[in-house]
Amino acid sequence: MSFFLRRTLGAGRNLGRAVLNNNQYSGLQRVATKTDQATPQAETRPTVAKFDPLQKSQLVDFGKYVAECLPKYVQKVQITAGNELEVLIPPEGVIPVLQFLKDHHSAQFASLVDIGGMDVPSRQYRFEIIYNLLSLRYNARIRVKTYTDELTPIDSACEIFKAANWYEREIWDMFGVFFANHPDLRRILTDYGFEGHPFRKDFPLSGYVELRYDDEQKRVVVEPLELAQEFRRFELSAPWEQFPNFRANPAAEEVVNKSEDQPKKE
Amino acid sequence: MGVLKKTTGLVGMAVAPNPHHTLGALYGKILRTLQKMPESSVYRKYTEQIVKERAAVLKQTKDAYEIETKINCGQAEELIIQAENELNLARKMLNWKPWEPLVAKPPKSQWDWPPTKA
Repeated sequence: MSFFLRRTLGAGRNLGRAVLNNNQYSGLQRVATKTDQATPQAETRPTVAKFDPLQKSQLVDFGKYVAECLPKYVQKVQITAGNELEVLIPPEGVIPVLQFLKDHHSAQFASLVDIGGMDVPSRQYRFEIIYNLLSLRYNARIRVKTYTDELTPIDSACEIFKAANWYEREIWDMFGVFFANHPDLRRILTDYGFEGHPFRKDFPLSGYVELRYDDEQKRVVVEPLELAQEFRRFELSAPWEQFPNFRANPAAEEVVNKSEDQPKKE
Repeated sequence: MGVLKKTTGLVGMAVAPNPHHTLGALYGKILRTLQKMPESSVYRKYTEQIVKERAAVLKQTKDAYEIETKINCGQAEELIIQAENELNLARKMLNWKPWEPLVAKPPKSQWDWPPTKA
């Protein structure tokens, strides 16, 4: 009797799973946006990161907390990749937001892991500056993003995090973003006398100059680069769309968005 | 009085001679700084809540070890550093006034990803 019960139960479970699977595949777009809500089963594959609802809810709560505490500076809070909290701020808010995250009792993000840059030439402010912070006290990470263009200087985080010194020099070297009040803003990675900022999208892959040893002059000479090939116009844009599944679906989930006109409640 | 604490076990952090007194003074300073912020400030509300909780623990006991276990946020020396940071932050917040409305809206499609052709 009990054996039968178990078997029927098992069959029922299988059936239920099949129905669920059907639901998933019928709405492919839903799967792309809300993966965590659409998959109730626990992740069993050992190589796939497990979804942790507790961590997620804590991140959402902390995101709301930051947005509430600093309404002047937080434009948007979002969660990407399931468990990465991002705070998006205007360039005026760099110092206050970083100082708050470092010094507040319930944040204590005392370690600056990295500062990164990103170039999207189609935007009005083409550069994004990205700060990755780590809180050793609460074992949590947070990412702060802001934006700027070629001419607008951004406030240096050096007085808050000593580690910011070299990272900002790196950004200055690679992207040409100017940091105001930086104690020592010089090139850090490129060669002496290098011109240009190699991580900009409009910087050519081959660079502008080439170096070679000249046997007659007995020294290394720098010459403008000569390409053997004649100039060709490449058509780089593909005729089809690259990410049709993400057309309407942002990669990140919004937690707080104050940049839109109507404040949207979740 | 328990056994005298010899070390914090953390590099560069000396044992505080009288953590109860230092913490009390720092929490008082923080609360007085927060008084200058407007009542509606959310930062003030939450920080007052945290600091008052910790100050209440200080009132209950004078023993450093008991304070540490009740606050549960590290050793007394670390608590002092946290309080110093918060005081520093609160004083800067008075200038920044973060309770005001949003200072600048992002340009359209600044935070959209991937950047689709539209």
